[in-house]
Amino acid sequence: MTTTGKKIEESPILEVKNLRKFFPVQKGILRKIVGQVRAVDDVSISINKGETVSIVGESGCGKTTTARCIMRAIDPTSGEIKFNTKNGEIIDLASLSRDEVRPYRDDIQMIFQDPFSSLNPRMTLFDIVGEPLLVNGMKNRKEREDRVAELMGQVGLRPEYMQRFPHAFSGGQRQRIGIARALSIQPSLIVADEPVSALDVSVQAQVLNLMMDLQDQLNLTYLFVSHDLSVVSQISDRVVVMYVGKVVETGTPKEIFESPRHPYTAALATSLPKADPRLKQERIVLQGEVANPSDPPSGCYFHPRCPYATDICKTETPELKQIGNGRTVSCHRIDEINLPGV
Amino acid sequence: MKETKNIVTDHPILSVKDLRVHFFMDEGTVKAVEGASFDVYPGRTLGIVGESGCGKSVATRSILLLVDSPGKIVEGNITYRGGQTNGQETDLTSLKISGSEIRSIRGGEISLIFQEPMTSFSPVHSVGNQMIESIRLHKKLSRSDSKDLAIDWFQRVGMPNPEQRMTQYPWQLSGGQRQRAMIAMALCCDPKIVIADEPTTALDVTTQAQILDLLKELQEQNGMSIIFITHDLGVIADIADDVAVMYLGDVVESAPVDEIFHSPKHPYTNALLSSIPSVFNRNRERLPTISGAIPHPHNRPSGCTFHTRCPSFIDGVCNVSLPTKSELGDNHSVTCFLYEDKK
Repeated sequence: MTTTGKKIEESPILEVKNLRKFFPVQKGILRKIVGQVRAVDDVSISINKGETVSIVGESGCGKTTTARCIMRAIDPTSGEIKFNTKNGEIIDLASLSRDEVRPYRDDIQMIFQDPFSSLNPRMTLFDIVGEPLLVNGMKNRKEREDRVAELMGQVGLRPEYMQRFPHAFSGGQRQRIGIARALSIQPSLIVADEPVSALDVSVQAQVLNLMMDLQDQLNLTYLFVSHDLSVVSQISDRVVVMYVGKVVETGTPKEIFESPRHPYTAALATSLPKADPRLKQERIVLQGEVANPSDPPSGCYFHPRCPYATDICKTETPELKQIGNGRTVSCHRIDEINLPGV
Repeated sequence: MKETKNIVTDHPILSVKDLRVHFFMDEGTVKAVEGASFDVYPGRTLGIVGESGCGKSVATRSILLLVDSPGKIVEGNITYRGGQTNGQETDLTSLKISGSEIRSIRGGEISLIFQEPMTSFSPVHSVGNQMIESIRLHKKLSRSDSKDLAIDWFQRVGMPNPEQRMTQYPWQLSGGQRQRAMIAMALCCDPKIVIADEPTTALDVTTQAQILDLLKELQEQNGMSIIFITHDLGVIADIADDVAVMYLGDVVESAPVDEIFHSPKHPYTNALLSSIPSVFNRNRERLPTISGAIPHPHNRPSGCTFHTRCPSFIDGVCNVSLPTKSELGDNHSVTCFLYEDKK
């Protein structure tokens, strides 16, 4: 049952270095800037060709902002986004102006969370999936129709449905339309922001399988953003755990969930309800609430909630340390504490 | 994590029998709940699980006669056995929708915790005042006594600085705190049954774990019954004692939680369990799926409603007649033709 044919190359398709995105907090009629929301604060992620990398974290941790910066849907405050284009050039998306990014847009496409609001209800399926083709120079309607039909076949929709409107489709089918649209201009990297969280479980599995199949067939690279750890562990090769704008741990799903090294990762992994009533899970219960990114705590952002925090955690910001092949952790007490996994 | 509670000997505190709730729309009748039956036992948690549109919310809201027009309870009995004098039986469906009897039950005897506390609290009253209002409606207490009781409950649900929180508005609280306030409000009148409709769906996993623990702890202290509605089987495994699986308005299988997860009988329960991604699965393993999608409510399939997606579909049987409920012992029942002859 395991998918085969997938190959991960050792060359990174995307290398994000020290990415920061701060949103200004404005007050008064003069819109004076009184503070900053540090939504993404010094994030570095590298994704190899053919790989699926997931960003997980709770709401407000900056996972979506990171994805949107990579898409250049918003402009990053600082940092580098090195992208390896189809022609083999390496460009820094963060340093380009909006117009300069345009020619590279067809290389990175996005799948959105909500299949109900991300499809224009007044456009037929043919218009929705065919629009990226039209924009990218496929003017001949017949040609476009053929390509749309092919895409619909690939995502498991009947090509006869091409002239229908989105309201005629169920949530799972709509998400397939969103996937077809993202695939239409043959991108190499797909950023999927919570693509299955709006779907029912029985349909969620279908869409996840489809995404894995398409990756094998078309040699796609995925950046997957999700809060659902079970989904993430199912689909990813590597997981990046974020907390209040910072990366706290990276590793393979097995490493992350079975032997987490950061207390926050351990708390996430052990709080996840498992579908087995017989299972006895040792749980790390966190106190309090997620820190406010406009006024983050001193030292390690996680220290007010961390059951293992000591004095050093309150004053010094831990660095993201390499502790193995592709495994990084940012915790002062990494060698001293023993954490439970699932 | 879970200690198995004693096997049921008591009578159910609430029995829903053959409930049918239909919505009469211009486009046709939507049968949101079609023949659902389930029992709630004292001090236990009944988990109702199902996908969107299976009628789990409508079925439980019918208990409090909170079905919005054009919806109507067209058939069925909802027997509540917890009335003021213990053991008194009341058929809730026979009460007037806005009569004083059901109003004293709503919030007083049976209370409701909503999914999104932001929309169920009033944004223009402080959470404290909203709680005091609810207490004074159901208990004969002075204003200051009600306030003390409210603060006491805020403490019990683990709200930081309860006295200060009393004066705050819902939008000033975080998601987890709002849900704690909601729980405090639902429990402050010592209800016998709490209906929790997806109370943790809008929360992050670490907060969800806190809220689930809180509910279990309060249940131990108060001994109330909980009806917990969710689509998340992980949450069900964590909190429920008994489980009812719903599909298109009917309960297709009901059993103690261990049975549901370790010997599921209905093809839908089976399929649902195997299609959830799990951290225990092999990485990048393809998930078994349920083919097709949930039928549109206007197109209810004939016969067994699951036959269009069922892997064990028997032509000429499942699509023609309705399966009946088969009792398999140990409170395990299933509505499927596969088990009809094994009665």
